[in-house]
Amino acid sequence: MKEKYIQIFSLVLIVFYGIFVAWLYWAEPKNIEEVSIKAKETIENAATKGQIVIGTYEVDRLKFNDGLKAFREDNFIAARSFFENADPERRDAKTQFYIAYSFYRQGWGRAFNDDELFKKGLEQTNRVILIDKNFKSDDANLQLKTPAELKNEFEEGLKVTADDFNPLKLTRERK
Amino acid sequence: MKKQTEEIERNDFQIVEGELLEVSSGAEIEEFSGEEITKVSAKLKTKDKKPKTDNQKSYLQYIFLPLIFLTVALLGGLRLDAVNSAFVFLKPPLVCLIFAVILLLLFSRAGLIRLDGWFSENFSTLKNIANGAVLITLFFASAQIFNSLLPEQGLPFWVFAFCFFWTLWNNLFADFDTKKLLKSLGALFGLAFVVKYLLLASLTAPASQSWLQGIIENPTKEAFTWALDLPRFAAGTGYIQFFAVIFYLIGLFLLPSASTQEE
Repeated sequence: MKEKYIQIFSLVLIVFYGIFVAWLYWAEPKNIEEVSIKAKETIENAATKGQIVIGTYEVDRLKFNDGLKAFREDNFIAARSFFENADPERRDAKTQFYIAYSFYRQGWGRAFNDDELFKKGLEQTNRVILIDKNFKSDDANLQLKTPAELKNEFEEGLKVTADDFNPLKLTRERK
Repeated sequence: MKKQTEEIERNDFQIVEGELLEVSSGAEIEEFSGEEITKVSAKLKTKDKKPKTDNQKSYLQYIFLPLIFLTVALLGGLRLDAVNSAFVFLKPPLVCLIFAVILLLLFSRAGLIRLDGWFSENFSTLKNIANGAVLITLFFASAQIFNSLLPEQGLPFWVFAFCFFWTLWNNLFADFDTKKLLKSLGALFGLAFVVKYLLLASLTAPASQSWLQGIIENPTKEAFTWALDLPRFAAGTGYIQFFAVIFYLIGLFLLPSASTQEE
């Protein structure tokens, strides 16, 4: 073989083997089986990042619909899981809004709210605002249409005020 | 036409080199020319062989050596967990990169690597890049070999790091030739390996026991493990690192001081 070809082959070998070694130290698989699982994950992540770069990133419609179905059935944990899988890069305002809304509906209580879920919901709502501050939901089942309204609901829910002890509060409805 | 023939003849004469010692008879000339023919054919045969060895050197330098060094880079930070033998990949601490740089300087000073033999204006860009890539693999292998031989944490880490630094720093100003340097490195790495993977490993308490059971059954080992902050790894780690060190030393032994054609 000509020396030139050996050198080219050497460069290819060094680049690929070097990337493999660097990837192993980055992914830290625990055993041989995990190597293939982590490799698959890395390829999927790289593909998603590539879609973002070239502007073809889209939410997985099937998973989104599954999430929406679970959300309407009040199965919020499953719904969040579907939504997160549908939008792994957390770039779609609509999907992220549903995740935030699921925290609200799950955490809402007639007598008192679940503060942990409300805090998570507030963080999630801030994310929606970052993605698209003018977002408005077109879902007729949701009474809170914008992230600003949802944010206000979370903030009010987290505050302890004299109004919290008003017995009439028990008559309020979940939005 | 005549002028051209004369010029060709003159050019032909320019190629012939040698001294005329005595005038020989016609028979002797015939005998001599016969010998010369055999000599020339022998030369041709050796000329056929030479590119093969050049090719082998290229294979060694551009394929085999990077493979060895990258394998060392892979194995150098690999440990096996004491409980379930799961892979643990330890990234090299900053001090390993510094040691690797000092080691490369040492290689250059001792003539194990001649930089002007690896990089030159006379080489093609591709060759310079390929040579650079081989040296980069050497750098990462060197960093990882220190990562392999340095204890992971605690007091032993700093003691080993200080000893390595002291030795490398002294060597940097000593007169070395390639053989002495390789022997010195072999001894240094060998000693570090024995201390870390035999001595310190034998002082480390097994991980499978509970804390109380460990104290009852192995009070000394538990005390050393606690006092020296020794990490608990499976016995297989020592075997992996043994091959990492051996591969690295083989790689250094095979590393040419200059690139193939330059030699």
